Amino acid sequence: MVTISNAHSELIHDAVLDYYGKRLATCSSDKTIKIFEVENDVHKLVETLHGHEGPVWQVDWAHPKFGVILASCSYDGKVLIWKEENGRWTQIATHAAHSASVNSVKWAPHEYGPLLLAASSDGKVSVVEFKENGTTEPIILDAHSIGVNTASWASAALQDGSNSLQNRRFVTGGADNLVKIWKYSPEANTYLVQDTLEGHTDWVRDVAWSPSVLLRSYLASVSQDRTCIIWTQENSQGPWKKQLLKEEKFPDVLWRASWSLSGNILALSGGDNKVTLWKENLEGKWEPAGEVEQ
Amino acid sequence: MSNYIGGDDAYLSNTFGKSLSLRVDGRFKAVSISPSGRDVVLAGRQGLYVVDLDDPFSAPRWLHHITSWEVADVQWSPHLSKPGWVVSTSNQKALVWNLARSSSNAIEHVLHGHFRAISDINFHPQHPEILATCSIDTYVHSWDMRSPRRAYYSASVWSAGVSQVKWNYQNPNVIASAHSNDVYVWDLRKGCTPLHSLKGHANSVNSIDFNKFNETEIMSSSNDGTVKFWNYAISDKEPQRTVVTDFPVARGRYLPFGKGFCVMPLIGGNNSVYLAECVTENGSEPVCKFQPIYVFKGHSDCVSDFLWRVRHSSESMIDDREFQLVTWSKDCDLRLWPVNETTYKKVHFEQFAPLESPLVDHLYSTYRQEPPMSRNKFDYSRQMKEHFVTKSGSEDTRDKNKVDHLAWVSGVKLHHANSPHDLFEQDKLQNLGEEVSMIGHKFPKVVFEKISVSTGSLILTLSGPWSERSPDDLVFLRIEAIFPPNYPCKKNDPVFKIEENRELSASKSKELTDQLQVISAKHTELGMYCLEACLRFLLGEKINLDALQDEEQLLNFDVVDQAEFEDLSSLDSSDMRSHVASGSSDLSDEEGVMYDDKTSIEGFTETKLDLDTTPVPKGCGATWTSSGLLVCFFALEGKLDKKQHNLQILNQRNYVNSKEGQKPEILFQDDLSASSSRPKRYVELHPASSEHNSENGVMASETDSNASSDSFGDVWNDIVRSDITLRTKLPVYSAFGKNLTLIPSDDGKSNASTPKFKNTVLVKDFSHLIADKRQLALEYKFTGDSLESICKHNADVAESQGMEDLAHSWTMMANLLIDREELQTCTFEWSFDGLGDRWFVKEAMSFFEKSKNVQMLAMLSCILMERSHWSEIGAEGRFPRKQQNNVVTFESDLHTGFPRSHQGSIASSVKSEDYFSPHQFRSKQPKPQLLAPSSMIPDVKIEILHDETLDLIGGRLPPLLDPAEESKYRSYRYQYAELLFYWGLLIHRAELLQFNTPLPAPSDDSWSIYSRSAPDSVIPLNATGMSYKFVEGEATSPFIVNCNYCELKIEGFCSTCGSCQHIMHAHCAKEWWRVSNECPSGCGCACVDVFDRV
Repeated sequence: MVTISNAHSELIHDAVLDYYGKRLATCSSDKTIKIFEVENDVHKLVETLHGHEGPVWQVDWAHPKFGVILASCSYDGKVLIWKEENGRWTQIATHAAHSASVNSVKWAPHEYGPLLLAASSDGKVSVVEFKENGTTEPIILDAHSIGVNTASWASAALQDGSNSLQNRRFVTGGADNLVKIWKYSPEANTYLVQDTLEGHTDWVRDVAWSPSVLLRSYLASVSQDRTCIIWTQENSQGPWKKQLLKEEKFPDVLWRASWSLSGNILALSGGDNKVTLWKENLEGKWEPAGEVEQ
Repeated sequence: MSNYIGGDDAYLSNTFGKSLSLRVDGRFKAVSISPSGRDVVLAGRQGLYVVDLDDPFSAPRWLHHITSWEVADVQWSPHLSKPGWVVSTSNQKALVWNLARSSSNAIEHVLHGHFRAISDINFHPQHPEILATCSIDTYVHSWDMRSPRRAYYSASVWSAGVSQVKWNYQNPNVIASAHSNDVYVWDLRKGCTPLHSLKGHANSVNSIDFNKFNETEIMSSSNDGTVKFWNYAISDKEPQRTVVTDFPVARGRYLPFGKGFCVMPLIGGNNSVYLAECVTENGSEPVCKFQPIYVFKGHSDCVSDFLWRVRHSSESMIDDREFQLVTWSKDCDLRLWPVNETTYKKVHFEQFAPLESPLVDHLYSTYRQEPPMSRNKFDYSRQMKEHFVTKSGSEDTRDKNKVDHLAWVSGVKLHHANSPHDLFEQDKLQNLGEEVSMIGHKFPKVVFEKISVSTGSLILTLSGPWSERSPDDLVFLRIEAIFPPNYPCKKNDPVFKIEENRELSASKSKELTDQLQVISAKHTELGMYCLEACLRFLLGEKINLDALQDEEQLLNFDVVDQAEFEDLSSLDSSDMRSHVASGSSDLSDEEGVMYDDKTSIEGFTETKLDLDTTPVPKGCGATWTSSGLLVCFFALEGKLDKKQHNLQILNQRNYVNSKEGQKPEILFQDDLSASSSRPKRYVELHPASSEHNSENGVMASETDSNASSDSFGDVWNDIVRSDITLRTKLPVYSAFGKNLTLIPSDDGKSNASTPKFKNTVLVKDFSHLIADKRQLALEYKFTGDSLESICKHNADVAESQGMEDLAHSWTMMANLLIDREELQTCTFEWSFDGLGDRWFVKEAMSFFEKSKNVQMLAMLSCILMERSHWSEIGAEGRFPRKQQNNVVTFESDLHTGFPRSHQGSIASSVKSEDYFSPHQFRSKQPKPQLLAPSSMIPDVKIEILHDETLDLIGGRLPPLLDPAEESKYRSYRYQYAELLFYWGLLIHRAELLQFNTPLPAPSDDSWSIYSRSAPDSVIPLNATGMSYKFVEGEATSPFIVNCNYCELKIEGFCSTCGSCQHIMHAHCAKEWWRVSNECPSGCGCACVDVFDRV
């Protein structure tokens, strides 16, 4: 078990291991991103990235096929793309299409290419494609009028073969208490709302699309209203079914949801500074599967 | 334009006799009150603030005077003839302001005679034009405003700087000053020889005050913790009395009423102001301990100064004065404290005693409002001059003159309760002002154009989703809301008016107004404040009125006692009228004035409020990695709680007074309301942190938790300088500067040698919860001699890894797939068991689906289905369907023995296994029952069963798994391949992906695995990871940088030969390999053939 204490002088807002589980990126209110090399129980700080002018909310590693690339988003309204080459980190791109804090940044499943999804408090989400010729082509969508708190891609694997590019979907959660599902429309070359899911009574803080390719799509949304809702859809079509992860409210607001790779364990965390793990049993009920406290 | 004008009668004041707290940021040091008791002036580095105590909700008038020197003192002229005169210090100069003039032109005199900083000013009690100043340059000067160029009297003791200067109330020629430890009494007529020197304090004297009635009596307060009462007519050697306190005394003054005095500690002393009785009778102990009879306690930091606000009826011949204490503290709160009757009695104040002469009546009016400009030519040119010469552009922009009104309102707390001690510790919303300020910060997109709490009218603008053309469009709305004085009592719901708008149809507008009415009526019915709900509605949120009662009351509303408002209501109605009148006059004024850069503060617009809905940052979270590690990060235990806790308090208590009297128990009693009232927005966190900042800045003791939130606030400040909304009423630099001064100490702390835990990142292994295991993947097999042996092998693997249940599953699978030789002996049962088989497989698959064990799903889908498919195609080329049909006919014809003719190909053997496999495992139970009738059953029946199976199968897919779900199984394999890639098991992955790759035409297949652009590949994506991986993995090796075919740089899709490592663009490869099997580099490698072997 690796423990890194006080890496940052401020609150940490995100910590993500890369594809191979070797490098850990953390970001913080101290406006920096730190890269650690993690090997078994040993960790070593290899780099501190400066560049943001505000607290950094989230980081995300790109698929290794694109290189060692990290995207970060910040309160300063920018998304920065960082790349490591020969041990040197450089900032290779800036995506500054938003006029307010960018709260979430996610790389698309690698099959789609270098496609980045960013959600901002200015009420918009943007999908940026970093093209081979170095240009970007952001698609900017009005998603949630008060502010978008989170966005997450659907896994690609579920969609079959050649038309998977056409079937890109993602989900957003906003300050209007809604969760929206977006689908790519090749004709319009944009994303259109496919479903709007109502269920939360307060700001949606995180949505996570299960990476599992089981027939059923799983979405977990957590909210300021201290509930977590599991949304399921059969065969990528039809209505979304809503299920409260547990009937009682959580002791505190929920901030974060994360699925394990095959989608069998859901990790939730929130204001009570605790991480709880959840697992669906064979009857389709969600059971606690563990807890982490610091 | 205007709001509360107020009556000209102090008895109509709605703040007198009540407690009030006003938050005024901006590092004001000194305070003074107008003789009428209506206005308070605060002086600081930014200039003066004039606050109307009767209308605390209106933003103050701000007279700019930006200086880097702390203001030591400010005094409002006590004279009837100079009602607007205020004198303040600016280092070695004293500025005489005339508030009756426009703000840009308000400085009437500059008194420049000292050569070091002035420490005190005192107006002459009888002569309106005369005032005295003293300075640390050891001089005392007396000035006559009629010739302000130089002081007409000066005195000095040379030895020490002067801390205070005071005129005698009785003798107009006598003046006293405090020099270090001594007090000197001067007579103007005797030049600079002191009349008396009163020595006795052991430390420097901070304050002196003449007795109002006894000419020769003076009290002095000192850092030595004593207050001494002298009577230099009796003795200038020994004080008459010494009172010993347990704190250094900053100010000690006689009470304006009765026989008592008030002292204020320099530090410590609970940050209170103490009121004590004067015992001057001879015979009392010369030295006694301080015994306060009343304590004004509540500030969280040292009190800077205290004042008495007084009112009395006009031309009264009886002493009907009433008093209210005004304190200004370093905690940035200006507070008004009522004084009760018992206190009057204790200090022997005889109310309503007859007077010899009537009290002086001061005009009860406010200087908060900018005076109307005269168009006098002289003024005009003078003004021009001032603009160009002295003002250095500080006033030219209107914005700068504006105090952030919303922030200001949020700093006002008015209490109707009479209990003096807990006045400032209630955490309920008390009035519309607090509601507005609270809401203003919750909804940054709502702009308050006008806030007039006293008249109950608001004008706000916002954009809501009310467009009729498209639901996504936002329509800009300007809404006027009028709140009745008794709001939010029953039947006192506000009236909303939506301004006519091109984008909003009349009907829609009507609909909205009606809806707002319903919402507000519903709320006021319950005595709740409704503005928040109304705004939420206007912004497009759904308001659930039914849940109103159950809902946690977000703002912690309290039904306000109607009676308390009665005096207000009468007041307000008259205000309304005057409001209308003044509004129109303002308008005309405005038109006529050219250089009026600050017509009215009420024209306030909220420009600074950023539209910031950034949520509160996450301090804790967890993310999964592919290998079942969970990366968790936490804020430090306890700290977060504390901060949240503070936030809660802040939120509930409206950002005011949060530092003292925190009552967490109350807040947490109702769990629901506790967390629901937590701020959601990042911006809302700021006040909490800056609160800590100010705390830290002045207090020596600091805790960990403070440190963390401090720095939080710093960051906040750094980024959103333009967005300081809550606690800072001055332009950004002041708040920023404030933070700047604090940052070093914070840094010092956080970087100190003892590291403080602020956050932790934990990487914890939870792979035991994850069904997919790398270890299993390493040893699992897809291929082998027979399916049964594969399963058996896999069962062993699972068992060796301690996965009992998986091992068991594999064993069952193995049994299921047992050698079909055995099957053929029991001829007719196969079809029955065939169904059982399918049932079992289906159950198994659905079990693993439910437990989300992708590894097992993928493994099974390979072994049970794809293998036959794959090899069959491999063997038979392009006619798989047909072959299967053959099988069908065979089977329906001959059930006794499966034709051996297909044995040559794996395909057929697999297929037959699929059909006949069940036996070993299944047959054990059904066999006894079926044996007897079995021989009787005609062939036909078997055929029917078989037909069903065939119907299900349809097409070319093998039977054990539902062929309709082929794509599902394919995606299982695909995802498992991704897992294998994560785990670095590339060979395994390739092996697995072969199952997913339908056999393409031979000419292409050699590289299609590695290239997404293979034209006829059904799932080309499967392979792309690999080819990319190749590029990235070898990126440093020089010889693959350029395509070996076109010589251009490789970017994007490419194909690499596994043998010679030469690389081509995918499209080049396609082109080249159409014509050749050899490597285009000429290395002689037969790439295509190599691929075939792989």
